[in-house]
This record gives sequence, C-alpha cells and structure tokens, in this order.
Amino acid sequence: MGESVFEITINCVKLILVFLLMVQMVPILVWLERRGSGFIQNRFGPNRVGPLGLMQLLADAVKFLTKEEFVPKAATKILFYAAPVFALIPGTLAFSAIPMASPLHWGQYTFAIQGYDIGVGIVFILAISSLAAYTILMAGWGSGNKYSLMGALRASAQTISYELALGLSIVGVIMMYGSFNLSDMIHVQEGTMHFQFFGYTVASSWLPNWGIFYQPLAAVLFFASTFAESNRLPFDLAEGEAELVAGFHTEYGGFKMLLFFIGEYGHMMVASGLMATFFFGGYNIPWKTTEQIYQWALNLVGSPDWASALTSLVHFVSFFIKLAIFLWIFIWVRWTLPRFRYDQLMDLGWKTMLPWALANTIITAIVIFAVSQSW
Amino acid sequence: MTADSFLFWMLAIVTLVGGLSVILVSNPIYSALCLAMSMVGVSALFATLGAYFIAGVQMIVYAGAVLVLFVMVLMLFDLKTELATFSRGKISGLMKIAIVGLLAGFLAGAFKTMTFEGADQAATKAVSTGDTTKALGTLLFTKYVFGFEALGILLLVIAIGVVGLARSKGGTHAKH
Repeated sequence: MGESVFEITINCVKLILVFLLMVQMVPILVWLERRGSGFIQNRFGPNRVGPLGLMQLLADAVKFLTKEEFVPKAATKILFYAAPVFALIPGTLAFSAIPMASPLHWGQYTFAIQGYDIGVGIVFILAISSLAAYTILMAGWGSGNKYSLMGALRASAQTISYELALGLSIVGVIMMYGSFNLSDMIHVQEGTMHFQFFGYTVASSWLPNWGIFYQPLAAVLFFASTFAESNRLPFDLAEGEAELVAGFHTEYGGFKMLLFFIGEYGHMMVASGLMATFFFGGYNIPWKTTEQIYQWALNLVGSPDWASALTSLVHFVSFFIKLAIFLWIFIWVRWTLPRFRYDQLMDLGWKTMLPWALANTIITAIVIFAVSQSW
Repeated sequence: MTADSFLFWMLAIVTLVGGLSVILVSNPIYSALCLAMSMVGVSALFATLGAYFIAGVQMIVYAGAVLVLFVMVLMLFDLKTELATFSRGKISGLMKIAIVGLLAGFLAGAFKTMTFEGADQAATKAVSTGDTTKALGTLLFTKYVFGFEALGILLLVIAIGVVGLARSKGGTHAKH
C-alpha cells in the first residue's frame, strides 16, 4: 500500500475515487444511450427535464429510489437480494486495475493513476470478470421464475463460451508485448511505429506504434467478444424481451434493477478501457512518447513535480477520450444491429471466433519466433 | 498482528468456512456457491504467496468456468426430490457414515506420517522468486513437458468419452 501514512491515505482515497468515477459515469452513459438511440432512430429521446434532458437522470434516480420494494413469493430471499450487490463487484474491481494516466511523480512519491497496479494485470481482470456469471445465475435462480431462470442459463452459457474466445484473442497480444502488465503494454505502444524485422529496424513516421496495426484480427475478436461478455446487443440473448420478458432481471425493480444496470455499464467501461489499452496505445497521445510530453510540460510550468502532474492530466484526458469513443461504439452498435438467434450466437462463438483466435495465437507465435532470429 | 498475517487468517477462514459449508449445507445450489467462495479464497491465498498467475488461473478455470457449469446444471434439477432421496434411507446413511470414517482414517494417517521439515524454507523461497509466470512456463514446457502433454491428452479423452456416452445412452444428442 505504501511507506508513509500520506502515501497509504492517497492510495485508499484513490480506490474510492475510481469506484465513484465508474458509478458517476453511468447516469451520463444512460443519458447518452437514450439520446443517442433517439438520434439514430430519428426521434428526440428525453429532452424535457432540464437542458438537453440532462436532468432526466436525477428524476430517474429519484424514481428508482422511491419505487415499491418487493420480493416475489417464490423467490429465495438471500440470493434475490445478494445478486444485485454482487453485480457491482466484478466491474468495479476490474476497472480499478486499468491504468488511466502515466504515474505521477511528486517529490519522493510515485502514484499510479489507477486503483492498484497488479503485476499480472490482465490475468486478474479476466479472473474477476469471469465471476460475473454467478451474479446472473443467482439472480435468475433466486427469482423463482422460469423466464428468469431461462434467461440466466442462456446468459451464463454465453458468457462462458465467449470467455474462451476473449481469452485466446489476447494471447497473441500478450506474446507480442511480452508482459501481462497493462502499464508495460502501454509503455511499449509509445511514439511512432518501429519494430525489428529479421534484424532490420522498420520505422514509420506517420503511424502510431499501436497494437491494432500488429494484431488487427485480435482487436476485432476481442471487441466482438466483449459485447457478448457484457450482454449487450447484438448478444443480449439474456434479456430477449420478445421471448423471456426481460431475462434474469424480470423480477427486479427499482434500485435493485439499477444496480444490474450499473454492473452492465461497468463491464462496458472495462471493455472499452482494455480495448484502448491493448490496441490503441492506452493513455498515450498518438505519435508522442511520455518523455516528449513531460519535456513539453517542463518547459511550460518549470517545476518537475507540476510537470509530472500536467503530464498525468494530459494522459488522463487522452485516455478518457479513447474510452468515450469505445463507449459510444457500444451504444451505436446496440441501436444498429439486430439480435442474433441463439444457435447463431453459439456457432459464432465456438465455430468461428474460437478457431480464428487459435489461428491468430499460433501464427503470432511463429512470426514472433521467426522475426526475432537473425538469419 | 501484521497486515500479512491478518490477510492470511481472514482468507483462511473464508476458505475453510466455504469448504465446510459445501458439506454441511443441504441445498446443492448453496453447496456449489460455497465451493465457489472457497475457490476464490484459495486463489486469494495464492496471491498472498506471490503466485499471481496461479491465483488468476485458479479463479478463471475453477471459480469462473467449472463451478459455473456445476451451478447451471444444478439449477435445472428438481431439487426437492434430490434432497429427499439424498437425505433419507438407512443404507445410504450407513454408506455416508462409512465414507466419513474412511476419510477420517486417511486424514489421521496423513497427519501422522507428515513432517513439516523444510516447509518454512519452501514458503520464503516461493515469495522471493520474482517472475513466477515465466519460470512456470519454462518448467512446464521443458522439464515437465511430457506430463503436461499427457494431461492434455487425458482431458481430450475424457471429453470425447463423455460425448460418446451421452450419444449412446439416449437423450437430446442420441444417434438416430
């Protein structure tokens, strides 16, 4: 946690801040989702409460809080209440492990701008996210409703299936960066494109050194399977309101329902953050290294402490712009593509994405080995 | 009490309470969920020992995949009849007592022959090695490569065998 009381305090505050950041982004995303869907479908969306309908969020929150609290007669009470609370855990813990800016050097201290820096970052995030299936199962079974149970079974089967494609698609990325640590991965992607090719150095001045140019297939597979992981359209078979009422959260209302919502948006944020980290340079400014930004900041403000702070701030903004772009793509896709049929979903996961991810892994391994040799 | 030992005792309690609940709770769904809790506890214990990769894999494979399948299958059963057949009957009761006795005997024998020589050295050594993931990978693909491959083949045989059994005994995937 840290050496001195000051450092420990800052690190603890940081954890709370990351959680609040995630939770506070949800209302904005809900607003964006509703306004965005209105925009895409050529209608208005919420525009009555406050400027641009922004106060709608507050009104919704009050509505959720004051709704009648009830438990279905056939429900298992403990699981029914536990599920929405557990829904928050995977998203929050995973989001805390994503670096949001370059570390801040302040005097003798160094603060990582993230909840906590874990050596095997990506393994930790995958491990935590894999627990999300329990939430859905607990909610579905605990509700004591056949539609909920069917929705839960569908959802968890889908989550497990796509976890394989998700995990395999990033093996190539991990091999390329040679590290599990997200900060190391971001560090590799600094500056303009340059790499070793059969003993020669290949450099380009107009492409940033981003992962997507090395692993385009992995990027597509990863992004597609994160849609399935977060149960978003076109993979929202878990809800399937035409067949299952609303899937695993049929019996939930009011604030319990909202907690599931926050969990889902948390998954989206983790997916977007990872997408930016793996394939789009993380918090880096395109074409620029951290050192260049730091020098610019040093010329601007003079003192090293404040220059480091400014560098972190610039990187933070850069990360959030990338995050916002991916979050918007999530919303955009939801209102553009129709839902898959269940057998199509399973075929896509097991017969298409898994073999492609495996092929990508093997080819990456061969290429990395061949290129590293000097012939 | 240092932070490390506090963490250890807390995680040990979570793991043990989870493990005990698996056999003490009568509802199979709660048993499976408690087993999941126990698995998460074990993986956290691995993390406190510095084996982060093993911790992550333990969580992904056991808690995240295998046990989710258990829970899913259990939820499809009519648990009331399962419970009744499982908890009544003299013969099954005798069987249970016999099995508990056997297990207790094994445990007692194991504890009697066990020595703790070198255990503390092994523990400190595990913490001090830096990049455990790399070391693990190297060991798996050099020294233990045959055992590793044999395990892979074993799992493949099991998977194919299960599919074969399911097809021959009727059910949704039966041959026509």
